[in-house]
Amino acid sequence: MSKVKDDGSIWSGLAKKGVSRRDFIKYCTTVAATLALPSSLVPKIVEALEKKQKPYAVWLEFSDCAGDSESMLRATKPTIGQIVLDVISLEYHETIMAGSGKFAEKALQDVVKNQKGKYIAIVEGAIPMKDGGIYCTIGGKTAADIAKEVCGNAAMTLAVGSCASWGGIASASPNPTGSVGVGKAVPGITYVNLPGCPMNVENVTATIVHYLTFGALPALDGEHRPLFAHGALIHNNCERRAHFDAGQFVKKWGDEGHRLGWCLYEMGCKGPEAYFNCPTIRWNGGTSWPVKAGHPCFACASTNNWDAFGPIYKRLENVPGAGYQTSADKIGLGVAAVAAAGVAAHAVIRATKGKPHEEEKK
Amino acid sequence: MAKIAIDPVTRIEGHLRIEAQVDAGKVTDAWSSGTMWRGIETIVKGRDPRECWALTSRI
Repeated sequence: MSKVKDDGSIWSGLAKKGVSRRDFIKYCTTVAATLALPSSLVPKIVEALEKKQKPYAVWLEFSDCAGDSESMLRATKPTIGQIVLDVISLEYHETIMAGSGKFAEKALQDVVKNQKGKYIAIVEGAIPMKDGGIYCTIGGKTAADIAKEVCGNAAMTLAVGSCASWGGIASASPNPTGSVGVGKAVPGITYVNLPGCPMNVENVTATIVHYLTFGALPALDGEHRPLFAHGALIHNNCERRAHFDAGQFVKKWGDEGHRLGWCLYEMGCKGPEAYFNCPTIRWNGGTSWPVKAGHPCFACASTNNWDAFGPIYKRLENVPGAGYQTSADKIGLGVAAVAAAGVAAHAVIRATKGKPHEEEKK
Repeated sequence: MAKIAIDPVTRIEGHLRIEAQVDAGKVTDAWSSGTMWRGIETIVKGRDPRECWALTSRI
């Protein structure tokens, strides 16, 4: 096996860490699938990661719970260690970096100054705007001021998680701190929203690879979210959809239907109104997702989900088609009954008229 | 006599500022501040109690 040249490229960095060529190609293929790109584009992704130098990145945390950082730590292809050190050069992350205080601040400032316009800013957590933004400060500066400087000088910003995308839980009624997402706090920047509570790391790494491969962000919807992740309703890809159609609903936790994996619509599932790729990409290396594990979806990526869809365990109103197959069966039976009655009636009429078909043909 | 501040304290979940008064190599006073607040206690008021866990787990 020939040794991979150490040229500072992403592929050579991964190879140095023991990632085999086969696993590298597998990863590029998986990313293409996540991005909903045809497999003919896999060689382009491979080429980009072979040639491109690691981009610098800084990860900022504002009004957050670190859930998106936790999601990042569960990356499996490549692993977080590989991502941090080999796919991107993550220079600042308060939850995992070695330096603190002044040393941490210097690490951030070095990237902002020396890589101006070239680094990727990843933002987790909402930005409070009320009372001068005092509800979140780091190193004595408000989150709003830090975001303006760091995101304002970045090549692009990834707003990861619902809080950074649209304000998340911090903005849930009555939004005591006036929290908003990055796009609203720093107008004019190039950014992508990658909501989710937390984000799904597979979508984030796919977006980074897309940017590295094509030098552009993937197609976005009206809320700045990638279409590959938020273009389809959860309801339309749910593995329990047939149970919804057949009117087989869980009525109580632990009942027979729950054990059989029936639809969770009556337990409050917001899947019919949520746009996310959870049923296909799933979580923790593709292991599972809330509905598969037996809990209703609560539209965690959707803007204002804590207020817009009603309580988590309250059924959505006006979802068309619930149990339509049951009604279809009823309709079918009804039609069959009418048809049977018609056939019987016809037989009676023929009998009373007394003329067999053969005689009519003559 | 010097007052030092470490902000951010890293490798923790959340935001923390530590200040210390240092006299002749000894810490004579110290302060800690949680430098971020969202008001989850205010946000959960009035909501369906069955979903309280979903909001408080995000603290």
